[in-house]
Amino acid sequence: MTAIKGMTVLAAAALTSAMFAGSVLASDALVDSKWVQDNLENPKVRIFEVSVDTGVYERGHIPGAAHLNWHTDLVDPQKRDIASREAFEKTLRDAGVDKDTTIVLYGDNNNWFAAWGAWVFEVYGLGNQVKLLDGGRKLWEAQGLPLDTALPDHADSTLTLADRDNSVRARFVDVVAVAEGRNDAKLIDIRSADEYAGKIFAPEGVKELSVRAGHIPSAVNVPWGRIVKEDGTFKSEDEIKAIYAEKGIDGSKPVITYCRIGERSSHTWFALKKILGYDVSNYDGSWTEYGNAVGVPVTNIAGTVWTGK
Amino acid sequence: MPILASRSLSLLIVAALIAWGIWLAQDAAGRVLSFSLLTGSAFGIVLQRGRFCFLCNLRDFVERRDAAGLVAILSALAAGIVLYQVILGAWVPVPQPDRLPPGAHIGPVGLVLAAAAFAFGLGMAISGSCLSAHLYRLGEGAFGSIVALAGAGLGFLLGFSTWNFLYTSTVFNDPPLWLPGIFGYAAALGISLSALGLIAFLVLRRAQRPENGLSPPQPFEAIFIRRWPPVITGLLVAVIGAIAYLRVAPLGVTAELGSLVRTAGLSAGLVPETLVGLDTVRGCLSAVKTAVLSPNGVFVIGLVLASLSSALASGQFRPSWPNAGGLAARFAGGVLMGWGAMTGLGCTVGVLLSGIQAGAVSGWVFLISATAGALAGLTGLRRLGA
Repeated sequence: MTAIKGMTVLAAAALTSAMFAGSVLASDALVDSKWVQDNLENPKVRIFEVSVDTGVYERGHIPGAAHLNWHTDLVDPQKRDIASREAFEKTLRDAGVDKDTTIVLYGDNNNWFAAWGAWVFEVYGLGNQVKLLDGGRKLWEAQGLPLDTALPDHADSTLTLADRDNSVRARFVDVVAVAEGRNDAKLIDIRSADEYAGKIFAPEGVKELSVRAGHIPSAVNVPWGRIVKEDGTFKSEDEIKAIYAEKGIDGSKPVITYCRIGERSSHTWFALKKILGYDVSNYDGSWTEYGNAVGVPVTNIAGTVWTGK
Repeated sequence: MPILASRSLSLLIVAALIAWGIWLAQDAAGRVLSFSLLTGSAFGIVLQRGRFCFLCNLRDFVERRDAAGLVAILSALAAGIVLYQVILGAWVPVPQPDRLPPGAHIGPVGLVLAAAAFAFGLGMAISGSCLSAHLYRLGEGAFGSIVALAGAGLGFLLGFSTWNFLYTSTVFNDPPLWLPGIFGYAAALGISLSALGLIAFLVLRRAQRPENGLSPPQPFEAIFIRRWPPVITGLLVAVIGAIAYLRVAPLGVTAELGSLVRTAGLSAGLVPETLVGLDTVRGCLSAVKTAVLSPNGVFVIGLVLASLSSALASGQFRPSWPNAGGLAARFAGGVLMGWGAMTGLGCTVGVLLSGIQAGAVSGWVFLISATAGALAGLTGLRRLGA
């Protein structure tokens, strides 16, 4: 009986290693599901789920993973801003995160908001400890790996967060300076081609609106989906580099990424900053702020006029 | 129809449902649909075999002091509360007032809910049954139910037009109260089960013992012909409810109808573009349709077809079409139920059954107000001599 069990384990191990044999990671800021499985019990590793669809976590998550609710844990619920230092520090202390903890983030929808989480960690000086599970929740599920409903309970840590590092955060004035030619940073608009061209104000069914369509002058359009493979994992470093180089983004100048509300653009921010190592900041005000601002230059290729409908 | 023919047809429907379920389950998105179809089918069979119908059961008790149906409902609620607690305890180990369990039907509690549930109760008395029972009775050949469902569609449309006003007037301030969030799991369980126990005590004390002239049935007869015993029916409803919540969503029968009406009304310009707060309220029931088949849609299709199959097997499929007065009553009752279901964010299955099982105060408010509405309707109809 034991022998049969042993053979089963061996066969499973062989199958697992065969499954992951071909996985090559674009950078050490990414980990694959094999790595996560090997580190589920590692006390120096803390896994967080950040999913767009809240409620997914409770129904089943990677065993031991804690939850970061993007509506409340990563943002200030009152004003439009990322979470305050005090609130975020408390969340991380409760999860037992310390200054030497490796933090792994993953989520649904191609890691959109997990990448946003990585950016918030970066702002608070923990960026070097953060890794993204490549492919996120979708790939974990597709590989048939286990989910758990139990919630982890870690001893509280005494972590102290640094003040915000605003070098990875672009504010409105920074992008206006680019639009007016006073700052030579490169802008990447990661929204759909139709939003970029100004044909539509926002995707169907979206409530965060701007009263002007188009994009920030000089921005190039590279929809976020171009840098991921079918299974949701990032393309190779060389492929990603080539995609941006084609649009004149080669890392020689600082880069600013934006989208509609600043969350999806974190996905591109992550690729540029963590995989390619470029100097890049994310404009979290994004088009809902810029497209509503009075008196700033706008490029609207389609010429759409806002009529309140 | 000869019994052999109807039983063959019954088997054919079951086979078709299973085959469709297998076909749907070919990819990830389809697995949810397949699961929903089969859950709906199981629910349809239990509703039909157990005659699990909120109004009929209440009426049996009011008019004949027959408590069997109410015992089935109370058993479903009690067993469901226990089963739900097992799931909720895994998903939300430490209940907190601001963290509601995912997807559970926990609605805002206030006057609007009470009014909506009262209208729903009145509507079910006038139309002859609640929406879920209309669906299973459709399977039994009660084609008048189509008129009631059409009325419910119109009621939904009216509900959508009054929603924004009601939401900003009062619903906005109505809290979604979750018993485990307020009292903790153990106390919530104790309170809910005690309340059900008290109701059961009151019901059984006033009930008449059923005449026991029937000989004990043979197994085949007990399963396929006779009405299932109330406690077994209740337990089966509870199990199906808990399984559905674990894998897809809490039981409910109006989400698809609501979505159809909202989508059609939107394109006809009859429904406001934005229904404020609706899409953020837990247990919302009327997303604009984005796919032809939704989990709730196949659930309802499974319910009706399985009920048809079950009625065919037991020889209870009797095609009928009511007279003009009956049609008018079904339609008018349907309109009231539709408005009530939209405004109350669900019906006897979604808010009352799934809600109480999940520990929602809104479920209890719905139970009390809908019962009051139904009793008012039954009394009124009796006075009118209908």
